[in-house]
Amino acid sequence: MSLPLHELAHNDSTNAIVRLTENGIEFFPAPAAEVKTSLIPARPLGPGEQYRFHFDMTRCIGCRSCEVACNEQNNTPPDLRWRRIGEIEGGTYPNTDRFYLSMGCNHCLSAECIKGCPVDAYTKDSITGIVLHSADACIGCQYCVWNCPYSVPQFNPERGVVGKCDMCHGRLTDGLEPACVNACPEAAIEIEIVDQLEWRSDYAAGNAPGMPNAGVTISTTRITLPEGAQASLERVDIETLRPEHPHWSLVWMTSLIQLSAGTLVAALLSHHDGPITLTLILALTAFTLNISVLHLGRPAYAWRALKMWRRSWLSREVLLFGLFFGALATLTAATWIDSLHLLPIAPIVLLFLKVCAPVFGIAGILASAYIYLVPARPAWNMLHTPIDFLLSSGVLGSAAAPLLLRATNLQRVIPQLHFIAPSLTARSFPLWPLVLCSVLWMLNHITRAIRLHHSETYEHRAAASLLNTDSLRGTFLVGFAFIGIAIMLSLAGMPLLALPAALAGVLSARYLFFVSVVPLNMALTFVRSVHA
Amino acid sequence: MSPLLTQFKRLVGIDIRSEKYTYAKDATFGYTATSRVPDKWVKTTCGYCSVGCGMLLGVKDNKAVAVRGNPDHPVNRGKLCPKGLSEHHILENPGRSKQPLLRKDGVLTPVSWDEALDTMVERFRDIQSRHGNESLGVVGTGQLLTEEFYTLGKLVQLGLRTRNHDGNTTLCMASAVSGYKLSFGSDGPPGSYADMEQADLILLIGANIADNHPILCHRVDRSPGTKPRKLVVVDPRVTKTAMMADIHLAIKPRGDIALINSIAHILIREGLIDTEYIAQHTNGFAEFAEFVSTFTPAHVSAVTGLTEAQIIETALLYGRAKAAFIGWTMGVNHSTQGAVTVAAINNLALITGNIGRTGAAPFSITGQCNAMGTRESGFTSSLPGYRKFDNPQDREDLARIWNIPVDRIPTARGLAYPDIIEAAVQGRIKALWFIATNPAVSFPNYKLLEQALRSVEFLVVQDGFHPTPTSEFADLVLPAAIWGEKEGTYTNSERRVSKANPAVRPPGEARPDFDIFLALAEKMGVRDELYPNWKTPGDAYQEWQRVSAGRMCDYSKFSWQQIDDANGIQWGGESLYRDGVFPTADGRAKLHLVPCEPFVEQPDAEYDFILNTGRTVEHWHTRTKTAEVELLDNMVPNAWLEINPADAARLDLKPHDRVTVHSRRGAVADLELRITGIVAPGQVFMPFHFAETNSNIVTLGAFDPISREPNFKQCAVRIERTPMRDRRKQISRRPAPPNLNPHKLHASSPKNL
Repeated sequence: MSLPLHELAHNDSTNAIVRLTENGIEFFPAPAAEVKTSLIPARPLGPGEQYRFHFDMTRCIGCRSCEVACNEQNNTPPDLRWRRIGEIEGGTYPNTDRFYLSMGCNHCLSAECIKGCPVDAYTKDSITGIVLHSADACIGCQYCVWNCPYSVPQFNPERGVVGKCDMCHGRLTDGLEPACVNACPEAAIEIEIVDQLEWRSDYAAGNAPGMPNAGVTISTTRITLPEGAQASLERVDIETLRPEHPHWSLVWMTSLIQLSAGTLVAALLSHHDGPITLTLILALTAFTLNISVLHLGRPAYAWRALKMWRRSWLSREVLLFGLFFGALATLTAATWIDSLHLLPIAPIVLLFLKVCAPVFGIAGILASAYIYLVPARPAWNMLHTPIDFLLSSGVLGSAAAPLLLRATNLQRVIPQLHFIAPSLTARSFPLWPLVLCSVLWMLNHITRAIRLHHSETYEHRAAASLLNTDSLRGTFLVGFAFIGIAIMLSLAGMPLLALPAALAGVLSARYLFFVSVVPLNMALTFVRSVHA
Repeated sequence: MSPLLTQFKRLVGIDIRSEKYTYAKDATFGYTATSRVPDKWVKTTCGYCSVGCGMLLGVKDNKAVAVRGNPDHPVNRGKLCPKGLSEHHILENPGRSKQPLLRKDGVLTPVSWDEALDTMVERFRDIQSRHGNESLGVVGTGQLLTEEFYTLGKLVQLGLRTRNHDGNTTLCMASAVSGYKLSFGSDGPPGSYADMEQADLILLIGANIADNHPILCHRVDRSPGTKPRKLVVVDPRVTKTAMMADIHLAIKPRGDIALINSIAHILIREGLIDTEYIAQHTNGFAEFAEFVSTFTPAHVSAVTGLTEAQIIETALLYGRAKAAFIGWTMGVNHSTQGAVTVAAINNLALITGNIGRTGAAPFSITGQCNAMGTRESGFTSSLPGYRKFDNPQDREDLARIWNIPVDRIPTARGLAYPDIIEAAVQGRIKALWFIATNPAVSFPNYKLLEQALRSVEFLVVQDGFHPTPTSEFADLVLPAAIWGEKEGTYTNSERRVSKANPAVRPPGEARPDFDIFLALAEKMGVRDELYPNWKTPGDAYQEWQRVSAGRMCDYSKFSWQQIDDANGIQWGGESLYRDGVFPTADGRAKLHLVPCEPFVEQPDAEYDFILNTGRTVEHWHTRTKTAEVELLDNMVPNAWLEINPADAARLDLKPHDRVTVHSRRGAVADLELRITGIVAPGQVFMPFHFAETNSNIVTLGAFDPISREPNFKQCAVRIERTPMRDRRKQISRRPAPPNLNPHKLHASSPKNL
C-alpha cells in the first residue's frame, strides 16, 4: 500500500492535512522545502513488513489528547477508550521519575484475540499487519477481552459487540496519519514499518515498565524509553483494585452445566437412570445452555460460535456441550422408548449413549475450563481452574444424586407411572462422594488462595488482595460455609436442602472466580472511573 | 420500524447500531466518524485557557459536532489539548442555563427576560438608594469577550455608578499585572511564545504547563536536531512539567524569592550582567546589588532546600544564555508576595538585558482565555487601555472619547474582588452581581464567601450553566450564551488578539452577555448615552479601538476582519520594550528590593502539613464546563490528595484510603489518597476543580497587599482517615451545593474574618 503523504507534502505545501503531520519548529509559515519528516511511513510496505506504532515516552507529556482524539475519531462511547494513557513512577523525592504511556492496539504478531475468537471476527491484515475486527462478524462473547494481555478490545454494551483500535486503517489508506498521531502535540506517537521476522526474533524494544511482557503476544509497538530510568519505575495504579465484571450468566451457566454433567454421571453410576431422571437432567441442560446465550452481546448469532472449533476453546466448549446435549437428548428419548416398549432398542445402543453423554459432558467442562486458561488472566490461568470445574461437578452431582433416588421412587409412589419399568439395580446413593468432593473442592480453593497470595506475579497477588477486601472476603467464607452445610444436610438425610446449599457454595465461588481476576494490563492513571 | 421491534432487534443483537458507528470523509480533515463530519467549519478561538489556540468548530444542523485545531493558527499549529478537542460537547448538555430564574418565596422560578431585568434594575436601584451607589459589587471574568468586558465596565461605572467592580482574574493574574506595573510602569507581558523556541534557557517558575497549558509544551521542543536549550523547572512538586525538565529544582514552598535573589547575586558576583543595559534602562541598581548580596548560595540553600551547586548551576545557565526566558504562572501569582515575586523575576531580566529581545523575556503565562483582554479593556484595577485612575490626563482622555464630564470618572479604583467579598460580609456591599464565575468553588476560605453570599440582599448570577454551586445561592439567575455562541475577541498570554465566532444559537432563552448588558442599559435609560447606536459587539470593538488608539495595547491597528484573516494579531509585536524605554516617568525600569518572607500560615504541631493546590489537564477551573463533557469527567471523576510515602507510613495510611484534610477554617472529607514520591515529605497536594471536595473550604483567606491575589498555594493542614460517617454515598457529576436552600442570614455575623 502506498502512502502518498510525503509526496503530497512536497507537492502541495498549502494542504492542511499534510501540514498537520509536520513536526519541524519552523512550521509556520511553512515553505514546502522545510517539510522534513512525516509521522507515517513515506514508502510502501515490502514483503514481510507491517505497520506498527512507535511511542516515544521521552516526549509524552501525559496530556491525553490522543485519547480524546481517538474517541472523537471513532465516536466511541465516553466510558470506553481504544487508546489509553497510563502513568509510571519511581525514585524518591526530589529525585522522582514520572513518565506516561500511551497505547492503542499493539497489532501483535501472535495476537491472542485472533486465536481465541470463536467466530473469526479478527483478521491480521495481510498487507498492513493491522489487527482488524469486524463488528458484523462479532457475537459479543468478549473472549478477546479476556485473551488480550493489554485489555485492548473493549465491549460496547450499546452495540453488543467489542471494538478496538484499527490504527485508523481508513485514514492510513488515504495517506493520513491516525487520529492519535495527528492529535499528539509532542509528536510522541508515529507509525513506522517493522520487519515481522526480525521483530519476532528480537522484540525487546516493545517492552516498557508498566506494560505486560511484549513476548506474550509479540506486541509490535516500539517504545522509546527515557535513559536509565526504567529500573525502578512502577505502575501508579498498582494498588487500584477493582472487581471485574461478574458475568452472571456465566456464573450460572458454568455452575449449572457442571451440575447437569455431574448429576448425569452420578445417575448413570448409581443406575438411577430412568427416563424421568434423564428428562430432568435434560431439562436442566437445555435451560443452562439457554442461559449461556444471554452472555453474548448478540444472542441471535450464538450458533456462529461453532465456527472456529479447530482453534478456539470457546468454539470447542460450545461444540462439546452441544454434543452433550444431543447425546443426552438421544439417551433420554431412547430410554423413554425402551421404558414404554415402543420400539426394541439394542442394549449396546443404550450403553453407547450412556458412555457418550457423560464423556461429552466432562469434555465440555474441561473445554469450558480451558477457556479460562489464558495468560492474560493469570489468576484463571492455573491448574486450579479445571480442577475446580471438575470438583464442582462432583460436589453438585453427588449432592443431587440422592434426589434422583426420589425421582426414581416417584415411579413407585405414583401409580400412573407404574408402566415405566423401574431400574433394576437402583441402590441408595452413598454419601462419601459428596464428602470427598467437597473436601477436595475446599482444599483446591484454599490452595489456590494461598498460592495467589504468595505468588511472584503481581496479578496473582492483586487477585488475592481483592479476595481479601471487605466486600469479597465474606462471600469467600460464605461459599465454604454453604458447602459445609450441604454435607451436614446430606448427613441429616435432607438432600432436598443439601443440593441448594451446595449450589449456593459453588455459585459463590464461581462469582468470586469472575470478579477477583486481575487482568494483565498496561499501567493506567491513578484516579479514573471504574471502566476506563 | 416499531420501537418495540427495534428494541427486540437490539436485545438479541440483530441490530448493532451500525448507522451510529459509520465513517465518512470530511473534505478538510479526511476519514472520521460520520457523526463528526459537519456541514461547515467555523473558525474560532478556544474558550478555555489563555494559550489561545485557533480552532475550527464543525456545525451540522445548528449543532456543534466536532472541533479541530486550526492548522494555520500560529499558536497551536493544528494541535489542541483534550479539553479543546472535546469543546463542542460543552455547548449542548443538561447543565446549560436556559431561562431566567427569579427567587420567589425561596424558590428559583422561571420568569421572562423583561421581568428578570426589570427586577434587577429595580432591586439594584432600591439598594443603592438606601445604602449608596457603592453598595453594589460586580465581579466579572476572564471568560467574557473583550467587547463584552469593555461594555460591562462602562455599564457598571457610568450606569450603575459603582467603582466596586473587579474580575475573577484577581484570583489568578493580578500579581503578574501588579508586578509588571512595579517594574515597568505598565501591565503587558513583554514576550511571546516564539521566544521559548529561540531561548537558550527556559526557566519556568511555579508553572506546570504540561497540565495547564499543554499546547505550550511543543515550544520547548526536546527532540534531537532542534536548537539545544535547557529547561529548568522550579516547583515544589514533581509535576508533569518537571518530568520534561533538564533540571528540576524541587524548591521549598515560597523559596522562589530567595532563589531569584540568589541568582541575581551570583550573576552580579560573576559579572554575568549587562552593565550597559542596567546603566541606560534601569534605576536602583546599586541598592539592588547591595540588597541581594546577602542572598548567598549557602544562605539560600537552607531557605530553598536546594543545594548550592543547583543554585549556582541555574544562575550560570541563566547568565551565560544568549537569550533567557522566564515563564511563570500560579506558583508565583497565588501568593501574598505574588506581585513582588514578579518584580524579582523582572529584576533578573533587567540586569541581564533579557528583555525586549528575541528569545528573552520575563513572561507571565495567563490563566483564562481572555484574562488579558479584560485587564486591557477593563474598568477595574485600571481604566480602559492601561490608563491609570490617578492620572488626570488619562481621565480627561477617556471623558473626551466618551463625551462625558470628567468627574464621572473616578480618581481611584474601587474594591478589589476579595475586598468586595469582605465588604459584603461587613454589610457595606448589599448587592452582588457575578458574571460567568463560580466563587463558591474558586474563592478561598469558602465559609467567609458563603457568609457574603448569604449576607447580601440581592445576588445576581449570570452564567452559561445552572445550577452551579454559586447560582444555587442566587436571587436572580440570568442564562448566558457561552463560547461558540457569541462573537468578539480573546487576547491570549502573548497579547495575540484572536477572533471568537458564533457557530450555534444559545440554548433556550440564553442570550450573549453583550445583549444582556445592552438590555440592562436600556432598562436603566442609559443605553443611548453609553452605547450610542450600538447593536453588535462589533460596535463595542470599534469604540474600544478608539479608546485603545495610541496606547500600549493599541487595537486601532487591526479590524475584526484582519484579526480573523491573520489568525490572530499581537498588539505590540513579538516583544515589548525593544527600545528599552519603559512607560515610567523617566522611561527607565525599576529594580525592586524584594525580601523573602515565609508564607503566612506555617505548619505546626496541630496542622503539620503544607497544602498545595493546583489543576489537572482533564478539567477546567470549577468544572462547570468539563463535568459536562462525559469523556473528560470519566477520565478524572474525583479529586485526590497526594502525600509522600514517608508521611503515609507515619500516619499508617494506604493507597486509595479516604482521607480528610483539616485546616483552621474547615475540612474536606473523602479524598482518594495517592501515596507518591511526586510530593515532598511534609507537603500534600490536591486539585481545586471539584465542588464536592472543595479545596477552598480549607484554603487561607490571605491576600497580596498589592495585587489582592489570594494565597491559594500554601496553608497548614492536618490529614486524617475519613470516618465512615463522612463518606459520600456516591459521586455525582453535578454535586449538590453545600446547602440546597440558602436562606439569607442577614443578622448573623461572620466568624472567620
